[in-house]
Amino acid sequence: MFCKKLTLVKFLFSFLFLLASTTAMLAQDAAEGETLFKNNCAACHNTSDETLVGPGLKGVTGRRPIEWIVKWVHNPQAVIASGDKYANDLYNKFNKAAMTPYPNFSEAQIKGIVAYIDAANAAPAAPAAGAAPAAGAAAPTAQSSGGMMEVLLVGLLIIMVIVLIALLSIVNSLSKLAKAEQEEGKSFFDTISENAKSLAANSAVKTGIIVLVFLLGGKATIDAAYGVGIHQGYAPEQPIKFSHKLHAGDNQINCNYCHTGVYEGKGANVPSANICMNCHNAIKRESPEIQKIYKALEKDEPIQWVRVHNLPDLAYFNHSQHTNVGGLECKNCHGEIEKMEVVEQRSSLTMGWCIDCHRQTDVNAKGNAYYDKLVEVHNKDSKTPLKVQNIGGLECSKCHY
Amino acid sequence: MFNSIHKFTLLAGLTAGLLSCGSDPNDTGTEFAPNMYNSVGYEPMTQLQGDTNKINPYGMNMRLPVEGTVSRKKYTGADSLKKAFLAQELLAKTIPSDSISYSEALLKNPLAATPENIEAGKLQYERFCQHCHGEAGKGDGLVAKAYKGVPVYSSDALKDVNDGHIYHVITHGKGRMWPHGSQISSENRWKIVLYVHELQKQ
Repeated sequence: MFCKKLTLVKFLFSFLFLLASTTAMLAQDAAEGETLFKNNCAACHNTSDETLVGPGLKGVTGRRPIEWIVKWVHNPQAVIASGDKYANDLYNKFNKAAMTPYPNFSEAQIKGIVAYIDAANAAPAAPAAGAAPAAGAAAPTAQSSGGMMEVLLVGLLIIMVIVLIALLSIVNSLSKLAKAEQEEGKSFFDTISENAKSLAANSAVKTGIIVLVFLLGGKATIDAAYGVGIHQGYAPEQPIKFSHKLHAGDNQINCNYCHTGVYEGKGANVPSANICMNCHNAIKRESPEIQKIYKALEKDEPIQWVRVHNLPDLAYFNHSQHTNVGGLECKNCHGEIEKMEVVEQRSSLTMGWCIDCHRQTDVNAKGNAYYDKLVEVHNKDSKTPLKVQNIGGLECSKCHY
Repeated sequence: MFNSIHKFTLLAGLTAGLLSCGSDPNDTGTEFAPNMYNSVGYEPMTQLQGDTNKINPYGMNMRLPVEGTVSRKKYTGADSLKKAFLAQELLAKTIPSDSISYSEALLKNPLAATPENIEAGKLQYERFCQHCHGEAGKGDGLVAKAYKGVPVYSSDALKDVNDGHIYHVITHGKGRMWPHGSQISSENRWKIVLYVHELQKQ
């Protein structure tokens, strides 16, 4: 009797132990499965039922027996070739994109991955990682603060003149009051206009106004003359509302990825549509702006981007010399492109602007044998480091020929 | 009756008028001598209104390279490395885009895995690959979040792929990835191959 009880207890204990150990083993398998899944499968498969590149794997154990899954993971092509109907349907459904075979996964490892998929779906659904909606294409209107300042100043000037006139008329009428020469039937405004007339008759005020007009007009003329041929602030509307802020800023795509010539050639190159398609074959396909790229590709037409930086033909400029040899960064001349919705010409690109930089910049001679002798000769009779101007950076014929 | 009020309004109007000549972002402003600014010869990235190229389609100044040609400018000279680059590129040109196994068997990186070459490869990797494949090749770049399906280099399937495989994938694409051969010179592709080998170990 006692013995029997003991056996029962023993049995119960062993059963419990077995149960606990299997769950622990399963959990361990699932943990290993998670690492394996994230390293090898997550690039193409979701644990949910959402299709990524391949099908979502939620409930995969219900769809296929585990033996089939193991065979499939080990060699998908063999399963397809064996004429398995499910495999062939799957293969055709995903445009005959073959899955990478994983022959090195043991059966236990594959079971672990499946256990992880089940565990991930059993867990309370995590809030979907919100793909932040792309910032609206609303381009901020580029308003130069300098212009605002001028308008403010002129406004203040006008107010001051009005206040001056009003004050003068008040002083005038007060003095008249003091003289007790009351004139009847005269309104306040009449007095003001009368006073303004007398003010205009004053030769000092006349001269003042004339000088002011000359000064303001002169400044405007000089400003306008200096601005001739300078495109600073030019930010033309492009045929496709491409945002450098989104691509180069938020997604940190390197400038060189699209502007392929910037380290190698004279021009930085505007990317051809196939470079856009490297990402936009999958990203934001429905956007009307992206559709414009598809149309251009279908018709084999170029996209007519508007060139922003137009250096006159009379001056020679080479990107690679500045970026690759000189080691300048794009933003040194182009400004903070990664913050611009619409690209704007930030620098003046005048000759003075070029020369300024050539006077101040040290030659990037490190690791460049071409400059070794020049540096040596320069250092013989100079204590300042070799600047661009010392190697002909100010010579007319370097840029004008 | 040309009194001060008239004068004043004239002045105010004049200043306002001058200031209102503000900047239209679509306008380049006044140009003094456009015939000196614009190139007489055809510039690759310039297209002038009313003076477009009459020979090429759509008035473009650029043309596609002749099909099947290889730019020789980088491969002239006696340098053995240049010769190796040329040999690999000519060989790679004969391999069709769907035959990755040929590339795996035939192509070999002309560059040795020296620290300088790997560093140069890292630079190219950062420019052309990192935004999708991530800093350490874990497929976690910023663009990959939207693009999806970017693999991990150190995964079982990829940790042992060889020079030719990586070169072929960069050139012709594979799976989700589209061809990048038009953007990256073949020399730089070989540099990237070196760096990807480093990332496979991580």
